[in-house]
Amino acid sequence: MDYLFTQAANGAVIGIIYALIAVGVTIIFSILKIVNFAHGDLYMLGGYCAYYIIRLLHVPPFPAFLGAMASIFTLGIVLERLLLTPLYSERTERKDEYGLIITFGLAFFLRNIALILFGPFPLRPPSFVPGVLRMGNLILTYDRVVAGAVGLVLIVILLYFMNGTLWGQALDAVSQSRDSAAIVGINPQRFNSLAFGVGAALAAGAGALIAPIFSLAPDMGVSANIQAYVIVILGGMGSVLGSILAGIVLGEAEGLFTAFFPDPTRALAYTNAFGVLVLMLVLIARPTGLFGRRHLRME
Amino acid sequence: MHLRGRWVLTAIVALLTVGLVLAPVAGIWLNAAEPIKIGEVGPLSPPGGYADGKLMKDAALLAAEEINAAGGVLGRPIVISAQDTRGLPEEGTAAAERLVSKEHVVAIFGEFHSSVFLAEMEVAHKAGIPIVAVDVWANKITAKGYPEVFRVAPCQALIATQYGEWLAAAGFKNIAVLYEKTDGGQSARDVLLPILQKHGIKYDVIGADLDQKEFTAQIERLKSHTPPYDFFATMFSEAGLYALVSQAHSLGFAPSAQTGMYNSGGPATTPTFWENVKEGGVYLITEVPGLPKAKWNDKTKKFVAAFTKKFKSPPTPQAMESYDAAYIVVDAIRRAKSTNPKAIVQALEKSNWVGTRGKYSFATDHNPDWHYHQFVTAPVHLIQYDRVGQTPEDAPVIWPKSLATAKSLYMKPSK
Repeated sequence: MDYLFTQAANGAVIGIIYALIAVGVTIIFSILKIVNFAHGDLYMLGGYCAYYIIRLLHVPPFPAFLGAMASIFTLGIVLERLLLTPLYSERTERKDEYGLIITFGLAFFLRNIALILFGPFPLRPPSFVPGVLRMGNLILTYDRVVAGAVGLVLIVILLYFMNGTLWGQALDAVSQSRDSAAIVGINPQRFNSLAFGVGAALAAGAGALIAPIFSLAPDMGVSANIQAYVIVILGGMGSVLGSILAGIVLGEAEGLFTAFFPDPTRALAYTNAFGVLVLMLVLIARPTGLFGRRHLRME
Repeated sequence: MHLRGRWVLTAIVALLTVGLVLAPVAGIWLNAAEPIKIGEVGPLSPPGGYADGKLMKDAALLAAEEINAAGGVLGRPIVISAQDTRGLPEEGTAAAERLVSKEHVVAIFGEFHSSVFLAEMEVAHKAGIPIVAVDVWANKITAKGYPEVFRVAPCQALIATQYGEWLAAAGFKNIAVLYEKTDGGQSARDVLLPILQKHGIKYDVIGADLDQKEFTAQIERLKSHTPPYDFFATMFSEAGLYALVSQAHSLGFAPSAQTGMYNSGGPATTPTFWENVKEGGVYLITEVPGLPKAKWNDKTKKFVAAFTKKFKSPPTPQAMESYDAAYIVVDAIRRAKSTNPKAIVQALEKSNWVGTRGKYSFATDHNPDWHYHQFVTAPVHLIQYDRVGQTPEDAPVIWPKSLATAKSLYMKPSK
């Protein structure tokens, strides 16, 4: 039973980090109607940002984590204003293709600029709380405990923001219909920026939380991106709650699969394949994902 | 013929004569000024091992700088054309094609990923251009028997044999082997397992993707194995190793009093190893494909000093291999007195050059198959870290016995 709890606890931490990354992709997709291929690279930048705030400004890890989220939130807004405004112009003929190409190019740019700026060697910031939590046979580093707990708090704040505040409801309105939202006095462009900024900040938060666990490298966003897309499709394109639940489900499923697959020598090798198998089975049963809407475009 | 016509004819004949005489001279003069191009390949961006690729490129450029400062070769400067192969075989093919058909290089050296080098050497083989493998360990690279392919790195047959024999000598009986699912990782596994069988050592083998960073569930599983593993042998050549070491340590699995830990592949000797693993790296064992510090020659000392001064970071064994490979190619051109690829291949076969890693020569026999054009006496030794922040050259050498500086074959952690 201890073994199960240990595996479940580790799976939950990884799942929460997955959820944080994926929910950002979902918010951006819902509002801007684009799949942000640079999302994993914003996750990477968040980690590096926290690292350099700690190293250069001699700030403790937790304020550095908040600083990284704020910095990448601002960067997200700047990037959205600079690169994504043609998406809202009637003169842009192929908006989907534009969004795809521009974010794909941005991903390559950010990854390679990180390689130049931060160097090729992996870096690891100091722990949020050094040491290991031991409860019977359960062993969990405090970094994982902090990542899970802070990630969960961020998710709760996000859910409150989306459902309990006027800005959150305005975001939801824009996601359903930009024109209708404009009619009732919501400025869709402002909320496009806000959505991209919030999505980027969530990715940055995940990057800063995971950095003391997995270390930082310029290419760390690549696999995070892939996992995020799997989760977004699993949860249902455009569903914030779906992304959160799917992230946690996938983290748990992968951890428990590795722990209980009958052949221990092959379990690790099949973990990623198992994640995709879960996705395929869900899509066969529910083609729109766990919480997906049948019609994504309401305009 | 008029006088004027005769004068014009004489002038034309004189110009042609002068032209015919001067053309070869001018050709020699122009050729003398024209640099000799040599290709360098390796990962410089994701998803490849770009950290090692950058160190290898830096070392190659440093070698070129020194060679040119000393007058170049055949009276001509050399130019290194470095190509980013991104750790992808298709990019390796494209880079090799570019070097052969566009850059017109006379030889190629480099690479960090076996699978990528296997693609590159096919291009070099077809074009008849010599190619020197720098830090790629899969046996089949030299086992293919291509006359153009040489290797300065030790191959898996040399490395895995070293630590396989050490595992037996140190008395380990029950081993968990975790390898990366790449050509290099599989080659290491294929060499190691027969050695473990030969010595009657029990083992279980686990494959993992190269980009894997979450090992917790697998380590928990290994930890609960009955009977307990007394050794955890890992073969990981990229940054995933740091997460693996940290997780194995924090879960109390390895390196511990009950279970020792080894990594093969290189990341345990890079400059940021300790920043990433902290106290988790103490008692980790790894191989160094170079001479131990006590055996460093003048060239090793000079290179380490020059590299550290120029790049503000000490070189890795991979950087030494790359530096030496550049010199070996230039030495072959010098002895061949030609940039003709066939002549360079013949000269490489007769190499007898002393570099930072000892005296280089390449075997010409095929017994066993990987021997052909392999630097068979490539130095490899095993070190075991015994304190945080220790550099590979300052860590105690535990194997081979002839080079050992540690008091015992294995320093067992106290907890």
